[in-house]
Amino acid sequence: MIMMEEKVVKVHLKVNGKEYELEVPPNERLLDTLRYRLGLTSVKEGCGRGECGTCIVLVNGMPRHSCLTLTATLDGSEVTTLEGLAPEGKIHAIQLAFLETKGVQCGFCTPGFILMAKALLDKNPDPNMEEVKEWLSSTLCRCGSYHYYFAAVKLAAKYIKEGKIYFDEEEVRKKYYMKVVGR
Amino acid sequence: MSKPEYVEIVEKVFDKTKQKKTEEFKYIGKSIIKWDAIDKITGKAWFTADLKKLFQNAVFVYSVRTKYAHAWIMKIDVTDAAKYPGVLKVITANDIPGINDVGYVIPDQPLLAYKKVRYIGDTVALIVAESMENAREAAELVSVEYEPLEVILDPLKIVEWGGLREKEHTLIHEERGSDVVSRYKIRTGDVKKAFEEAAVVVENEYRTPMQEHAYLEPEAALAIPQPDGGVTIYAKTQCPFDTRKAVAQVLGLPFNKVRVIVPPLGGGFGGAEDVGNEIAAKAALAALLTKRPAFLVHTREESIIGHSKRHPMIARYKHAATRDGRLLAVEAEIILDTGAYASLGPFVGWRAIVHSTGPYKVPNAKIDLAVVYTNKVYAGAFRGFGNPQVTFAVERQMDLLAEELGMDPVELRLKNILRNGDRTVHGQLLDHGVGLEEALLKAVEAINWYERRKLYSQQKGTIRRGIGIALMYHGNSIGAEGADFSSATIIIQRDGSIVFRTGLTDMGQGAIQGLVNIIAETLGVPPSYIRVEWPDTASTPDAGPTVASRSTVMGGNATLVAAYKLRQRLNKLAAELLGCDPDNIVINAPDVYCKNDPRLKITWQELVEQSFWKGVPLQEFGYFRAPPAEWDEETGQGAPYMHYTFGAIISDVEVDLETGVVRVREAVTAYDIGRVINRVGAEHHAVGGYIQGMGYALMEDLYYAPDGRVYNTNLSTYHIPTGLDIPEKIKSIWVEAGFRRGPYGAKGLGEPSIVAIAPSIANAVAHALGSKEANKDINRIPLTPDYVYSVIKKHGLLKK
Ligand code: FES
Ligand code: FES
Repeated sequence: MIMMEEKVVKVHLKVNGKEYELEVPPNERLLDTLRYRLGLTSVKEGCGRGECGTCIVLVNGMPRHSCLTLTATLDGSEVTTLEGLAPEGKIHAIQLAFLETKGVQCGFCTPGFILMAKALLDKNPDPNMEEVKEWLSSTLCRCGSYHYYFAAVKLAAKYIKEGKIYFDEEEVRKKYYMKVVGR
Repeated sequence: MSKPEYVEIVEKVFDKTKQKKTEEFKYIGKSIIKWDAIDKITGKAWFTADLKKLFQNAVFVYSVRTKYAHAWIMKIDVTDAAKYPGVLKVITANDIPGINDVGYVIPDQPLLAYKKVRYIGDTVALIVAESMENAREAAELVSVEYEPLEVILDPLKIVEWGGLREKEHTLIHEERGSDVVSRYKIRTGDVKKAFEEAAVVVENEYRTPMQEHAYLEPEAALAIPQPDGGVTIYAKTQCPFDTRKAVAQVLGLPFNKVRVIVPPLGGGFGGAEDVGNEIAAKAALAALLTKRPAFLVHTREESIIGHSKRHPMIARYKHAATRDGRLLAVEAEIILDTGAYASLGPFVGWRAIVHSTGPYKVPNAKIDLAVVYTNKVYAGAFRGFGNPQVTFAVERQMDLLAEELGMDPVELRLKNILRNGDRTVHGQLLDHGVGLEEALLKAVEAINWYERRKLYSQQKGTIRRGIGIALMYHGNSIGAEGADFSSATIIIQRDGSIVFRTGLTDMGQGAIQGLVNIIAETLGVPPSYIRVEWPDTASTPDAGPTVASRSTVMGGNATLVAAYKLRQRLNKLAAELLGCDPDNIVINAPDVYCKNDPRLKITWQELVEQSFWKGVPLQEFGYFRAPPAEWDEETGQGAPYMHYTFGAIISDVEVDLETGVVRVREAVTAYDIGRVINRVGAEHHAVGGYIQGMGYALMEDLYYAPDGRVYNTNLSTYHIPTGLDIPEKIKSIWVEAGFRRGPYGAKGLGEPSIVAIAPSIANAVAHALGSKEANKDINRIPLTPDYVYSVIKKHGLLKK
């Protein structure tokens, strides 16, 4: 490859509620902007080709593979990563549901699943099991926690319907950190 | 010889609690939110690559890989690459200060190839550059002159049937003078006579694929040079102490100057053993040679071509039985393909031969197994470690035999399974803790086997259901593979909180939570008092490798020993302070009191504080070593493992005769794991292991071009099960037959959880096809639609 003159593009982004004026090379992936420029490491790179879903973020509320998205194309957009799903010090109902259904194994896939679930529940607050499965079918979990994750989405839908959206993180930690939750 | 104290402790705890029901424990066997779960749902957990953000000054390391799968290297010229903008250093074999080898079991694998390349993932040079882009671009400029050699992908070009003799061929490992890595055998009874006298004989050939771990976290390592010339490495590895040894050897440094720290792993499944050593060594080399933090992360493609796989197997099996279904003899030849390097192949081969006749009483056996090199990606450890391959063959054989005898597959198995008091094919006496029959019966009942089996046998139409069973056993821990020990440290802090250290890693399936539960139960403190530290060769004790389902058993025993000793000391002090008998002390932190008079009490904090002032040590180190395994190389007789996990799997599938597509509709797994310690983790293994095994049965294989390149190097071509592929329901059943030398009677489950999945599915598919002729053709996995369809077509099953 020939060395091009270092060109940069100015991009205005709102990430997790914070405004950023960024100067990025035109070929910089959103994944790298988020992980390496902004330190948002909940965004994972499992394949870099849109095949695994570990890099999913929400761009203007819609799920996007950040590995296939160029930051330069997002001027004026709003991006949400798992770090920004709930306000500082809070945990979102979907996160709590994922915790309570006890599906997390290695957790590498979890951020992608939670954000996919968020996008689904925004669109369809009361999905049936088939819709949940369909929607989450492009996100992979090699540890095999799919059943738990599907149940988590259903539970989250219930919380949200009941108006319970944010939970205090400290309280959740107190209530759940290595706590006995069943037989 | 008297028993070591640690064995006495483990046995004493077992004897004291064996009558206790699991429900009666406070923490053992409970569903407990895992220690790392909150960090993971908040996205705060740090995996190795995430740490890069803490080192802005890091350089990037990229591996230049070979263009040929088998070739002599005539010349490597890096001049142009070294001059490329942003490049700091191009490292070749000549720059390695220590020994250029990362072979796991035998020294056959250079870190950087210099004389020869043997598979498409071999690295010939490392580029160290300011950015990953610079490094990748510069890699194109490394010029290597090769003299290509014949590429061998078929293990039957290395050895031949009828004794597995090595054939004439182009040697892949000319330095070893042979491409057979190792051989194993079992010889017991009089096989010839048994076959002559047998009423029925079934024989068939079996093939299993090269499965890829496909953990979602690609390999990563970050190495930081230290002022004293040493190096600290954060790496994705399962076995930090093995990684340290490998890196120290490559760098020519003493062990204590190499520090390996393991952040949480995004899955391992056995695959993060060898490659962990390799990436750590590469990053460490770059860090030391450039004096900057060095970062290496694999793309998915590099991961797939660059790390070990599950050994493909080709085997010929012959079973003999009496008319009433008693097994008389097994004769087999088994070939395991270890690819370009031995990796853990010799151990995989050994485990395969140990399990090569399944969990049955087999009076006569003649088994030969060879592990051979080819020019494929090297094969090493993968959940199950040689056992899924042979169990596939054995359990298919059992179904062929049942059909031949006109018996129900469950009945045939019931006639032959191992029970308490039986001897294995190796002559090992199983005098307690064999819960196979119970597992089998419970699984059969849970899924209504007999009814479904009958119902499905009468189907017509193009969508057919089938139900199949497979049994397994799996020796826990490493047996005769090496020194089998583990260790752990528990440190009670002055405020009453607890630090737990072990060199075992949590690959995500929750093994460490099991150890926490053991501490909590033994000490009488809630698990939330305990903090788990990352494995770190500078601070956590060497606990042996995190492999072979040994965390709960071996790590658990070491942890139990440490906790037990601490508890004894605390009981003694509390007794002195409260004025009752040490055996009478109840610790239910924060409360500590006398059983017979609960008014005599202090708090946990007070007890800890008093220990501090009274000179009662608040830290303890626990060690456990398994009794040495016995194994006779000539006959395969002995006691290869301390004990076995048993299991019965039933799968209910649907086969579309028009397309060959197989779907699993429902499944039941029943495992005898001695005692459930960590309920969440156990379920994760049962369900997750099933799904991974289903991938193995139906869709996963690595496909090679004739020149040794891999066709499917990413997740759109290497298919793993998605949420739409899984059965509606996977039911897990636990049998708790106990084991006297496991912590509270527990046995391991990590590897067993995949062993019998594929044969249960294959047996169900064969049942669905409902044809005796087709039955024999369900002899390979993955059962992809095209293969299943070809069988349907060959036997004209659609027309019927
Ligand atoms: S990293 Fe983007 S989909 Fe896998
Ligand atoms: S929990 Fe490990 S990949 Fe999903």
